[in-house]
Amino acid sequence: MSGWTAQGNTAQAASAAELRYRMSYPLVPSRGVRVVALDSGAEMVVRKVAASSTWNMARFYSAETILNSHGIHGAPVEVVLHGLDGAVESLNDELVDVDSTIMVATSDFGSEAAATIGAACSVRGIMTAGLVHGEDTEHTVSALRPYAQVLLVPADDGDLEAILTAMRA
Amino acid sequence: MLRQEINELLTKTGPGTEMGDLFRQYWIPTLLSEELPENDCPQVRVKILSERLIAFRDSQGRYGLVDEFCAHRGVSLWFGRNEDNGLRCAYHGWKYDVTGQCVEVPSEASNSRFCANVKLKSYPLVKVGDVLWTFMGDPAKAPPLPEYEFAQVPSSQTFTSKRLQESNWLQALEGGIDSSHVSFLHSSGLQSDPLFMGAEGNKYNLGDYKPYFEVVDAPGGLFIGARRNAEEDSYYWRITPWLMPSFTMVPPRGDHPMHGHFWIPIDDENCWVYTFDYQPVRDLTEAERQAMKDGYGVHSENIPGTYLPVRNKSNDYLMDRAAQKRGETFSGVGGIAIQDASLQESMGPIVDRTKERLATTDAGIIKARAKLRKAALALRDEGKTPEGVDPAHHRVRSASVVLPRNEAFIESVSDKLQVQPGVRQASV
Repeated sequence: MSGWTAQGNTAQAASAAELRYRMSYPLVPSRGVRVVALDSGAEMVVRKVAASSTWNMARFYSAETILNSHGIHGAPVEVVLHGLDGAVESLNDELVDVDSTIMVATSDFGSEAAATIGAACSVRGIMTAGLVHGEDTEHTVSALRPYAQVLLVPADDGDLEAILTAMRA
Repeated sequence: MLRQEINELLTKTGPGTEMGDLFRQYWIPTLLSEELPENDCPQVRVKILSERLIAFRDSQGRYGLVDEFCAHRGVSLWFGRNEDNGLRCAYHGWKYDVTGQCVEVPSEASNSRFCANVKLKSYPLVKVGDVLWTFMGDPAKAPPLPEYEFAQVPSSQTFTSKRLQESNWLQALEGGIDSSHVSFLHSSGLQSDPLFMGAEGNKYNLGDYKPYFEVVDAPGGLFIGARRNAEEDSYYWRITPWLMPSFTMVPPRGDHPMHGHFWIPIDDENCWVYTFDYQPVRDLTEAERQAMKDGYGVHSENIPGTYLPVRNKSNDYLMDRAAQKRGETFSGVGGIAIQDASLQESMGPIVDRTKERLATTDAGIIKARAKLRKAALALRDEGKTPEGVDPAHHRVRSASVVLPRNEAFIESVSDKLQVQPGVRQASV
């Protein structure tokens, strides 16, 4: 094929000169990302990242587990989310219009919360990720593994911010 | 997305750039040894990390990698003569040894010391395995030579090829880290490629399009485990090592050879892809070796006498829509390596990462970028030696295994992710 057509010749289409014509328009941010700290150590990580930038659709919480109750969708516990300003939010409500939920843990303290959040996300088709901070991560990873489609082990201080930025959260 | 300034930091590798300085901490592949096959053979032009160099092998078999241009009038030494332990400029006969030292200026008096003060910048060039490696950093800080297993096993057990990729090195590397595209882009190859087909694990790959990922930070880089359903009580794990800055291995299949890549910047818009296959404990068969030469597996079919792929962007990679419709290829492009290259080159010379939108399943790529950036800044600000320089970090393997559902790869197969001389790879 000779000459330029809209369909042919990748050598021309993929050149730097032609890439200047890639359309430029505001990209839609992520539909919604929820970041949940599963323990007090994780809450420090989450608070720091929450304050580090002006996020579009990311919301940040710490999880409180209420035992001996019937949680949603048959999960063994109920989880209440606390916004970083202290406001109490329902997990059901906070998972509306959400693409991804990122659980942050520094210990296996939050394994029951992870199970409940993971189950709630699963029935809603919400992707789940787990960031495991700390050095001795084996138990924490085991606790999160069944409920996180992506695990980062061990996560460092910059990982949560990098993931949220990459996702346009 | 990535902020523009971070994208620039990660993609620019010329002299004086942060990522360029990072690359200059490592021994990196520069040529295949077949490119300088004998003493006094023709010299070869080399561009690497945006520096123009000339490589030659002198009368005693010593390798040299020096500034391409004669110190006298700036003539390219590619036009020179490789003879009598040196490279002689074709213009006025100035001659240089493998260290770049000028050893003869014919126009000067026979007892002149003129040439003692003329020296071209040079880098060491060392053969390890089938590859010639260079170190372009501070000579006083040169680390020990590389110990990647593919370059350590006997030559009968290993094969390395290379091809030009017309894109920045980072988007090429990121394809090597991204395991989830295999079930789509390369799906047909799993069933037909002689270096992939027949492995038990292929059916798991093709049966589960939604892998789970575990990205594990490790000395030197990452292990990225992709978990797919296997049987009712087991998972199929494919584990990809990435070593800083640009070495990746592909998880093996059945008894097929292990393989992987180095992604080496030529300049900011092109890179060389060095592709290796090897067997840790047995010779490659003739059929395997021929398949690699023919461009199967992760190799490419190149234009004879060059390292330019037959399928390239100037011919639309010989796009075959009919084969795509028949299901013989997913994208219409033949060959696994060029399936990757075609898509990565289509992004443009340097992809604009401010426009991308990654997902949680891209965590491996996100983490690798973060590690590269962190290492580049630590080198710049603190002079800290990056991970992956230590040859102990090189002794990794990829693996594919089936594990009970309650086991995790990093705890169950950590020994199989390290080189064990005389021990077969872990492969399903």
